[in-house]
This record gives sequence, structure tokens and C-alpha cells, in this order.
Amino acid sequence: MSAAGVPNDIDAALQQRFLALAHAVPVGIIVVNPRGRVTAFNSAAEEIFAVPAARAVGRALIETVRNFELDRRVAAALSQGIESAAEVTHVGTERRLRVKVMPLGRSDGRRDAVAIVEDLTALRDLTELRRDFVSNVSHELRTPLTAVKIMVETLQAGADAQAQATFLDSIAHETDRMIALVEELLDLARMESGRLQLAMGPVELGDLCRAAVAAQAARAKGLGIELSAGVPPAPLSMVGDRDKLFQVMLNLIDNALRNTPSGGRVTASVRAVGDGLEIAVDDTGCGIPVDALPHLFERFFVVDRSRARNISGTGLGLAIVKHIVELHGGSVMALSELNAGSQFLCRFPR
Amino acid sequence: MGRENFHRILEETQQDVLRMGSLVEEAIAKAVDALTRADIALADEILRFDDYIDDLNVLIESNCLNLLALQQPMASDLRVIAAMLDIVIDLERIGDHACDIAQITKNLGSEPPLKPLVDIPKMAVLAREMVRESLDAFANRDAALAHAVPPKDDEVDRLYRKIFRELIEIMIKDPTAISRGSNLILVASYLERIADHSTNICERVVYTVEGVPKNLKRSVVEFKTAIAQADEMLHGHEKTGSQ
Repeated sequence: MSAAGVPNDIDAALQQRFLALAHAVPVGIIVVNPRGRVTAFNSAAEEIFAVPAARAVGRALIETVRNFELDRRVAAALSQGIESAAEVTHVGTERRLRVKVMPLGRSDGRRDAVAIVEDLTALRDLTELRRDFVSNVSHELRTPLTAVKIMVETLQAGADAQAQATFLDSIAHETDRMIALVEELLDLARMESGRLQLAMGPVELGDLCRAAVAAQAARAKGLGIELSAGVPPAPLSMVGDRDKLFQVMLNLIDNALRNTPSGGRVTASVRAVGDGLEIAVDDTGCGIPVDALPHLFERFFVVDRSRARNISGTGLGLAIVKHIVELHGGSVMALSELNAGSQFLCRFPR
Repeated sequence: MGRENFHRILEETQQDVLRMGSLVEEAIAKAVDALTRADIALADEILRFDDYIDDLNVLIESNCLNLLALQQPMASDLRVIAAMLDIVIDLERIGDHACDIAQITKNLGSEPPLKPLVDIPKMAVLAREMVRESLDAFANRDAALAHAVPPKDDEVDRLYRKIFRELIEIMIKDPTAISRGSNLILVASYLERIADHSTNICERVVYTVEGVPKNLKRSVVEFKTAIAQADEMLHGHEKTGSQ
């Protein structure tokens, strides 16, 4: 048996090639000899179990990879030649794994066990994300639809003129909400497939900022949040798609309003910074945990599901912001202090 | 039993201790996961887990006793066997606490959550880490690691006190929350105990490696102080209530 491991009935050159191959494969490969010692532990296995091969090789599997289920299957393959496959959780590194364990006969009549370990964590996370998204969107669409249905039924049953007017207004409002959501979804799909065409032209960011604040003023007032615009006296012009940049401002303000309690403050401002321009939206809201910061601009990402339920968002607003800003050659950033507030920054080259 | 056989059984028994440890660690993770998601089926799974843990416990104990009786081991081998006999007791208790948490999940059933659980999962992550590292220390005879684990208990204790205080406050304000609140306090106290058990394991590892028994215990969470604080809050509340 060589230090590197693999059965000694394979010649050295072949052994080297096996190990090189094993290290290049993206699934974890672990070989255990008839005495229960790990003889090969490839790079993917190192990554999955957070154990360096140097520590694992030469020892019993359970001593370094603390996974009862995997160990049990390896033991069954060694002692009884049982082949098995299962999905297991590795709590040490919080991974979801698909393991396949096979006996591997040797020329001396005994057998090794080979475990093939596939990391399903990313796939599981993605599935959860999609499920959350689907349920989120369905919820967002169903709520206004239900309201519309009830109002239509009431109208059909006959309602007085005043009720009719109120209901028709509400129906118009709810359908607008649904259209906006569907538009958001389509926008994002277009941006992600690179099919969105920007209508470039001169844009004055100060005007844009004031307009966005004006558009959200009534809502902010209803929520008891002080919303203001911070615009310097000199015009700040850039070349861009006015409608899309307006959407950036609206989405950032919308996000800030969602995450700021009543009595808080939200400020949207624009300014020149060095040779570029900056859009900033500050809030005095609940803040964002540090570990969530890198994911904020990912599609469907919601910081805290329990919190998000109360303030229903689709999880698309910030992803759209990021796409639009990047299409303009700019970059987005979020700064935050828990329970103190957050700042979202978009920087554009002039 | 030849000498070679003795070492083989000793080694296998140590591996069984690690197997038991991995089951126990998974049981804690699943128990808190089940609690967080109110997943009764998962809670049931943990209760079944405990049979495996108990089987291993019996196997390890009888192997240790056989080794002691038949081989009269000396020095470090003797200390390893003595340590294993102690460690399995701690692991078994940890497994029981995981079951206790699973049982609470079942008791709470579909009652609406008091509040999103944040600190209890944090405590669980720390407690699990301590269990894992204490067993790493055992597997690698790593006294330095065994010394490094117990200080982590301070953070577990801090979270415990925080959870205790918060839940008492919630229960004072809303008496309908008492059943859920007191159950969650129990969960936190189980996690706190789990962390203490991993400190015990570290003590055994240090004894095995260094040959000198050491007390690595951190300050015990003062139940009396915590209860006194709760009393104070309660009385404060009554006073304001009567004004």
C-alpha cells in the first residue's frame, strides 16, 4: 500500500493516473481499504467535508468524516459487499449529499469500498429559492385577484351607485398592481436574457430624484415615514435611459419604505462624486445582517422570510436595480448597520 | 485476547465513540431544525435516532469493561478506556436532550410561533460546534483543542441568559404565551446543558493526553440570579400595573 493510497495490486504509474483523475473530478471520491482505512480522498471530498486529504488518508473514515450514515454504508460495503445509495445530510458542513457506496473487488479476494459523494447543497438551495419565489409571486397575484373577484361578484349582484364607483376604483387599482408585478417579472427576464434595449438620452438626475420622491410621497405619508429628496443646486446630467433610471430610484425608495418602521426617515439623494455620479437612498430602518449583504441583489433573495411576509416584496426590485445600473456601466452597493439603517448606493461613470 | 486483538478492539471502540458522537451531533441539528420549522415528522425521526445512540452506548460500555477486565491495561490505554466510559455518558445525555427538544416540538405542535427563532438556532450551532470539536480533540488526542473548546461556553451562556430574559418579558406581557415561552426556555436550557457536556468531554481528553485531571468548567449559569432577575421584572411589572 502506498502512502497515497489505492490498492497495491495496481502498478505505481496507474496509481498516479488514478489519483490525478480522482482529484480532477468534481464529485467526492473516497476509497477505504479492507481494514477500514481511507486510502484515497480526492479534492472534491476535501471541499465537501472540510477535511484535508493528508488528515483523512491512513485513518478510519469516522475519525475525520463524522458522518454516521456514510460510515455505516462503507462498513456494509466492506463487510458484506452491499452497494447502496442515499441522500444524507452532513451536519458538520451543513451539506446535503447524495452518496453512492460500492464494494470494489481486489485481486487478493478482499474488497475495498468506494464512496462517490455528490454535493446537492446548491441544487437544494436553488430549489428552495424557486419554491419561495413561486409561492411569493402566486401570493402577490392571488391577493389582488381575490379582491377583484369579490368586488366583481358584488357588482354583478347589484350595488348602489356610490359603491359601484368605489369598487371600480379599487378594481382599477388592484389590476394596476398586478400589471406592475407582471411587468417587473418580464423586465427581469428581458434583462437576464440580454434582450432589454436601453433608450439612451440625456438625463438630469436631480429632476429624476425629485420626481421619484414625489411619486412615493403619498405612500410614505400613509406609512408615517418622512421621505425627502437631497438634490444639489447644480444640475447633474448623465446619458442614460430615463425610464429605467426612474425605476431604479423608485425601487430603491420602495425597498427603503418596506424596511423602515413608522416614524423613520428615508432620504433619496443624488450627487457628483469624483468623476462619476451617485444615487443614494438612506433609511433609518431595521438594517441588514452582515451575512445577507452579499446576497441582497440576487433575484428572489429576501433577508428574513418571517419579516418579509409582513411587508410583502417579490424579491425582484433590487435585482432589477442591479441589472439596470450595470447596463449603464455603473455599480451597486449596500451598506448597513443592524437596527440603525441602510444605505443603497449606485455609482455611474459620467 | 491477544495484545493485537486488544488494540484492534480498543481502536474500534474509539471509532464507535465517534460514531455515537456523529449521531448525537446530527440529532441536535435535526431537533432544532424540527423546532424551527414545526416539523413533527422530523421530530419523530429524532426520537427513533435515540435507539441507535443507546445501542452504541451499550456496545461501547461493554467493550470498555471487557478490555478492562481481560487485559488490565496500563497508563494511556487505561486512561483512554476510562475516558470513553465517561464520554459515552455525556454523549448519551446530549442525545437525550436532543430528544427532549424533539418532544417539545411535538408538544407545541401547530401552535403559532411566539416569535421567529433566532437565538435558539444560534445557540444550537455553537453547542454542536463544541460537541464536534470536543470529539475532534478526542479523535486526534489534541489537548490544545480540548483547552480551546470550553471558553466557547461563555457565548452559549450569554445567549441562554438573553433568551431567558426575552421569553420572561414576553410571558409577563402575554400570559397566553406562557406554555410556549416556558417550553422554549427549556429548549435553551437543554442546549446550555449540551454545551456543558462537551466541556466534560474536553476534560476527559485533557486527562487522557496529559494524565492530569483538570477542571475546564466555566462559570455555571446562575439559575438563582436568572430567576431573581425574572422576579424583579415581574414585580416591576406588577408595580407599574397597579399604578
